Amino acid sequence: MALEVAVLLSVGRHPASLRGRAAAADARAVELALRLGSRALIRALHAGDPAEPALQDYLGMGLETITVLRQPAGCDVLPALAAHLAFSRPQLILTGVAAETGPGSGMLPYLLADALGAALLANIAELAITGAGIGALQALPRGRRRSVSAALPTLATVSLASPAPRPWAFARARRGRIEVIDLPPGPPVAGDVREQPARPKPRRLKLATAGSAADRLRAATEIQAGRGRLLVDPAPEEAAAAIYDYLLEEGILSPPGKS
Amino acid sequence: MSRLRIERRRSSPASVEGGRIRRDPRAERQSAPPSEPARSEPNPASGRIRRDPRAARGPQRAATQSERTVAATPPRIQVENPACLILAVPDLDDGRLSSHDRDLLGAARLLADTAKGAVAVLVPAGCPEDFAAAGVDRLLPASLAPGYAPEAMTGAVLAAIARLEPRHILFAETPTGGGDIGRRVAAALKETTAHRVVRLSAEEAASRDQGGRSDFLRRPPRILLIAAEATDPPAGALREARPLAIMEVPATPLRIADGGLVATDPNAVPLAEADFIVSAGNGVTDWAAFHDAAAALGAAEGGSRVACDAGHLPRARQVGASGTLVEPRCYLAFGIAGAPQHLQGIQRCQRVVAVNTDLHADMVKRADLAIIADAQAVMPALSKLAREKRHGP
Repeated sequence: MALEVAVLLSVGRHPASLRGRAAAADARAVELALRLGSRALIRALHAGDPAEPALQDYLGMGLETITVLRQPAGCDVLPALAAHLAFSRPQLILTGVAAETGPGSGMLPYLLADALGAALLANIAELAITGAGIGALQALPRGRRRSVSAALPTLATVSLASPAPRPWAFARARRGRIEVIDLPPGPPVAGDVREQPARPKPRRLKLATAGSAADRLRAATEIQAGRGRLLVDPAPEEAAAAIYDYLLEEGILSPPGKS
Repeated sequence: MSRLRIERRRSSPASVEGGRIRRDPRAERQSAPPSEPARSEPNPASGRIRRDPRAARGPQRAATQSERTVAATPPRIQVENPACLILAVPDLDDGRLSSHDRDLLGAARLLADTAKGAVAVLVPAGCPEDFAAAGVDRLLPASLAPGYAPEAMTGAVLAAIARLEPRHILFAETPTGGGDIGRRVAAALKETTAHRVVRLSAEEAASRDQGGRSDFLRRPPRILLIAAEATDPPAGALREARPLAIMEVPATPLRIADGGLVATDPNAVPLAEADFIVSAGNGVTDWAAFHDAAAALGAAEGGSRVACDAGHLPRARQVGASGTLVEPRCYLAFGIAGAPQHLQGIQRCQRVVAVNTDLHADMVKRADLAIIADAQAVMPALSKLAREKRHGP
């Protein structure tokens, strides 16, 4: 029996041209769902305007249908999505980590999981169906990956570290259909927030607040120097042993036998 | 001329001139017994006896000396009756405060200081980190099992909120750490958050979004997710970091199982994210040995501009000002002299190991461990050693 997968899609924006397009993280969620192949029955969902041209980008990836819950601009889409998903009860819900437009707080997956009673996997990069539920790799900083698993139903947010979305094809976009469901509009988004253009902030310099004035001056002007162990013309084996021991000592390599 | 000489001779033994008694400090010093003989120990570095004029000057100075030693142990600031509590939940990735965690504590300190409150921190019980220097007033240890368990952690934060009733709860905005836990807590409490806070004051929190193009300003809500470098880490006097009673975490249904970290291909992740980089420069000619060494150590490959220009490595592997600014935990450089542009690229590296034939190269000065040898000889020896240690001889 195929697993029912719902993919939540939002409208992204190109960073330079500001034109609407598929959101990068949501397109990756579609890619992960399509990679499940015949083991998954994919339903793509979008809450907003059915005439949105960016939806063609998702159809061009190979989705057959996108279901659009018609909602006016500037209203909270959470009630509509929660109502629809509570009715259709998919076992797995995939979406990007945060929206690319508006104040993308990244709260929607958490509120949805809370409303549907689903487990939540954050920031996943790979996905597999296991016997008991869902196995996934979670993307951690520094390129590390953690294996996690969760029982169904699960909602997973897809990280930008997951595989890049497949290329868009015009014929596939033409073949795809958009189904519209009319739902009552949600409440307007709370308006006590003031928006202003982002000011770039310089990266912080290394701070030296403690110590004497001479120490602070030295910290600000001196070339950053290492601990400075020096081996001059060692035998290659001796040099290799010194490097290996240093890497072990600093915990870069795990001690032999542990891995 | 002669008159002057006579006067001098007269004054030196008698020290009486014009009815006044003239003090001769040199004579006093020589006649007085050594007041603190322990001070004239030989200096361990040079072996010479070190003269301490302050000790020789006698007991009237001793009082200030002891005062100074008292002042040297810095006082710890205590907050007895705080007006409010600010709860900070650091990530404590592998049990240590990261620089992002310290920025988070700086934000908590800022909010606490304007409201005359105190900073409380939720930590797993038995955390070895020193929180007194990190501006923490109260320490709330929770009995949490090690390993990744976001649901248990969320339960712990909710219990801590119920116990301390903090005015604000602060998390570090990291994708699988505080950003995840903070949103889980907010969803459980049905509250809004200020996410990705890049500027913070007691009146206003600025969330950066719209793809990084806009700041959304609002009064700081109860739950704040603080971005890195939003505030400066706490500096100055030590705080009390008083440990509170250990909090038992209520049992929550756990639906997520942790399978541990998995080994990944280090070259598959972007260079900027890499944890350990082995890098090659102009001094490397044996490229098979270089790739072999990187594979044996499980490191990502990088290169200087020269190596990439020559086509030995793809452009995406270039480290430096015109390539990638990398921040791995360790950077192992083979045959790289260290042009300023390259050193800019590795400015944020925590540890640098350099293998180079030139003793006076800038990379050797930068390195924590520098080896003056030919990279062609060291690389095969290193990969052989790493394989032997890993799989046995």
